[in-house]
Amino acid sequence: MKNIKHILWALPLLSILFFTSCEKDDPEVPNEEELITTVTYTLTPQGGGSIVQFEFRDLDGDGGSAPVITTGTLAANTTYVGVMSLLNESGSETEDITVEVAEEAAEHQLFYTLNSFGFDGNITYADADINGNPIGLLTNFTVGAPSTASLTITLRHEPDKSATGVSDGDITNAGGETDIQVTFEVTVQ
Amino acid sequence: MRRLQNVLLFSFLLLPFLSKAQDCTLSISGNVADESTGIPMAYGTIYVEELQTGVASDSLGNFSLSKLCQGDYHLRFNHIGCETRSVFISLQKDTVISINMHHHNELIDEVEIHDHHSEHETAASTSINKEDIAEIANKDLSEMLESMTGVSSIKSGAGVSKPVVHGLSGNRVTILNNGLAQSGQQWGNDHAPEIDPYVADHISVVKGAGALAYPGGSLGGVVLIEPDEIPNDPHLHGSINYIFQTNGLGNTLNARLEKYDKWAAWRVSATAKVIGDRSAPNYYLTNTGKREYNVAAQIEKHFSPKWEMKLYYSLFNTEIAILRGSHIGNLTDLEDAIERDVPFFTDDQFSYAINEPRQTVQHHLLKLESNHIFNEHQSLSLKYGGQVNNRKEFDVRRADRSDLPALSLLQWDHYLEGMYKHFFDHGRQLKTGIQLRLTDNTNNPETGILPLIPDYRAYRLGAFAIFQEEHKKLLYELGARYDLNYFQVLTISQSLPREIERRYHTFHNYSLSSGIRYKVLPQLKLNLNLGHVLRSPEVNELYSAGLHQGVSGIEEGNRNLKNEQSTKIVLSADWNVKKKLFMQLLGYYQYVSNFIYLQPEDEFRLTIRGAFPLFTYQQTDATIAGLDALVSYEPIESIRFIAKYSFLQGDDVSNNQPLVYMPSNNLFGSFAYSFKDGDRIKNSSISVNGQYVFEQTHLNANQDIAPAPNGYFLLGASIGTTFKLKKTKLRCSISGDNLLNTVYRDYLNRQRYFADDLSWNVNVRLNLSF
Repeated sequence: MKNIKHILWALPLLSILFFTSCEKDDPEVPNEEELITTVTYTLTPQGGGSIVQFEFRDLDGDGGSAPVITTGTLAANTTYVGVMSLLNESGSETEDITVEVAEEAAEHQLFYTLNSFGFDGNITYADADINGNPIGLLTNFTVGAPSTASLTITLRHEPDKSATGVSDGDITNAGGETDIQVTFEVTVQ
Repeated sequence: MRRLQNVLLFSFLLLPFLSKAQDCTLSISGNVADESTGIPMAYGTIYVEELQTGVASDSLGNFSLSKLCQGDYHLRFNHIGCETRSVFISLQKDTVISINMHHHNELIDEVEIHDHHSEHETAASTSINKEDIAEIANKDLSEMLESMTGVSSIKSGAGVSKPVVHGLSGNRVTILNNGLAQSGQQWGNDHAPEIDPYVADHISVVKGAGALAYPGGSLGGVVLIEPDEIPNDPHLHGSINYIFQTNGLGNTLNARLEKYDKWAAWRVSATAKVIGDRSAPNYYLTNTGKREYNVAAQIEKHFSPKWEMKLYYSLFNTEIAILRGSHIGNLTDLEDAIERDVPFFTDDQFSYAINEPRQTVQHHLLKLESNHIFNEHQSLSLKYGGQVNNRKEFDVRRADRSDLPALSLLQWDHYLEGMYKHFFDHGRQLKTGIQLRLTDNTNNPETGILPLIPDYRAYRLGAFAIFQEEHKKLLYELGARYDLNYFQVLTISQSLPREIERRYHTFHNYSLSSGIRYKVLPQLKLNLNLGHVLRSPEVNELYSAGLHQGVSGIEEGNRNLKNEQSTKIVLSADWNVKKKLFMQLLGYYQYVSNFIYLQPEDEFRLTIRGAFPLFTYQQTDATIAGLDALVSYEPIESIRFIAKYSFLQGDDVSNNQPLVYMPSNNLFGSFAYSFKDGDRIKNSSISVNGQYVFEQTHLNANQDIAPAPNGYFLLGASIGTTFKLKKTKLRCSISGDNLLNTVYRDYLNRQRYFADDLSWNVNVRLNLSF
């Protein structure tokens, strides 16, 4: 019976130990190698002229500071060659995510959706994966008369590229997950 | 403690009677009484396995079995609201025994999973709890609880469900696994409790606010998962259970052995579950399979009549596939998914494969308990519990990263408890205890993603005292509890450069409860329970930061949250009319001030994946009121009708709007016919049941991204029989769910945004026990 009394006394002592145990170690900050911080759509006019860049940059990822969006003005009646660049600039070294997408081209597709009925212009794919389906890292952007539109660029992971309209750039039946969805205001002058 | 008393009783009360050990003239007689109060228990049943007959105790708890031969007998004692007691007797002469039944109502307002077997249950009944569990153990723990009125499940598809008690779940429902508060990532709606139902001999739910002996701010209720003590039977007993289910071509196998050996009493149990893709009525639910491998071992040693020790270990190991079509990138994806009839990525082939998105969880639980009886009045119980929970969630990711978890959490939990009980004279009882708990939660940085909930340590100290007195027709209970919670939280900043911030929180909680049970008439029992409980915000509510995949929303914790304060009143009436009709009505009302909930903000959070709705944790005042009703009618012994109804309404009174994710009202009815037992064939019955779940209409249109689904009706049926050969029993049963193949979606299932619920299913079950 004496043993039990000892055990009873041990309880408060244990509780003191319990509450004075040391501080928890600092967590290790994960290496966010998969994060995409920067989407840059660079448009180079065929036959010379000034290069236009649309950029969405959110260095600290979701939350934290708000993203910075840069837009440009396109020249009327011009065909641009569009190059997509995806970067992870969160760490000390910049990672080129475009390479990852190119390596898994069959599982990715970029969609360029122009939302304006009156807009005079269109974007077509200029690249293809091993199955002959578009990827969207390279595009041709043809603009006509001055007008405005909003351009939504969407990167889908594991879309159904054989679904109706998908290889023509219609996102409706694509499915998959959205890795990127950014919207820019486009002005043609 | 029961075992100890039992040993005591066996030492002292196995009194020899006058007899000349002639063949078949011996008797066993005795008395059945409540363990805690010593009050005789009338109309219990005593069943002798060897003879396959039984008797009932009389109004004073006395019973007698006569014309017995010399030999070994296994006796089973049943009483409503009590655990089944098994007793082994090697009969040499007339024997008198005294049986103490462990009454399940240490808490006044407990309702057991089998709801009620009325007091006139036939003598042939065996351990109903265990059998009911085994019958449906291919389901999740939470789905098993759904058969009780007032309990439902919040689900994330076919394989993940959590219990909802009177509208509350998650952090507000404590799940006690073997007396230890289950410690995992309980905050997540898509995190099912890591418990194998096969280890349980009883599963019960405490609906009131009186569960003060248990840690955790159980505003909603407490779910108790309890294995039985190992019966003092020197023979090896065991069972093998196999269930096949057609939906998902699932196989569930469990084996269990137990023996009261000289060195110690032991029990082992092992379960394997392999289920493939489930199907909805019109298509496969691609990637909804699961695997589960569990083991448990239990050792009990009685060192002396006054000292026993118990050791329990269990490992739960699961891998669950999450519907591929429910994995989405942003709000547009979610809207697209809602619009579709058939989910994206639906395959027309069945498969057992488990692909991303998927979850793996390992849960270890170790319990060491030492029970001491000082004298007939005082006893002490010391307990240590250790748990390790390792959860990894895998998403579909770029560049071969799908093998890297997107969420990876390791949680340790240590628990110490000392509990002292004092039984006074005149049915008075005091129970008091102190509890210490340390929880350590660590994110594994392998994910490459900023964690959704931070690393933390939680220190919890709790103390409680409960006083109970039974006086004639009246039983009352008073209880108080104090909790000190101290959190040490280490967050990683959202902005660059990533910085680590240490935050500290201290919360003081107190809880008070009182309950009265009054037997107005022998047939009419009234219970009233009143409780005031405080719950401190948990770390996820304080610090969540990030995207919640399932709902495509960004959730942000709120560091300024205060304690929730709940006041709940539960009134119930049990009425038994001439043992043919049994009725139970339970009404409740709960007021929670500072109720923590997720408030959708007006602004959208712009990210590189598009704009997401932002949800922040806020506090409001809420009320939940409801009614649970049960009627059981047996016009003749072989026929039974059961009807159940649950009604619930939850309101946010500060903002004058309904609470979201409250269970729909539902109605259940069943008809069962039992066949007469034969020499070899026992417990044969056939039953049909129907359930109607009403549409959740108490909801504003702007409170959800998709409207609440329509009401639906499900038809079920079952048939079963037991073949008995000497001491071996083979039970065969076939049951069917959703036999009309109804196409439906359930409001509390988060998969409803993406896909229909399960199609028809037939379970075939074989159980061999010896």
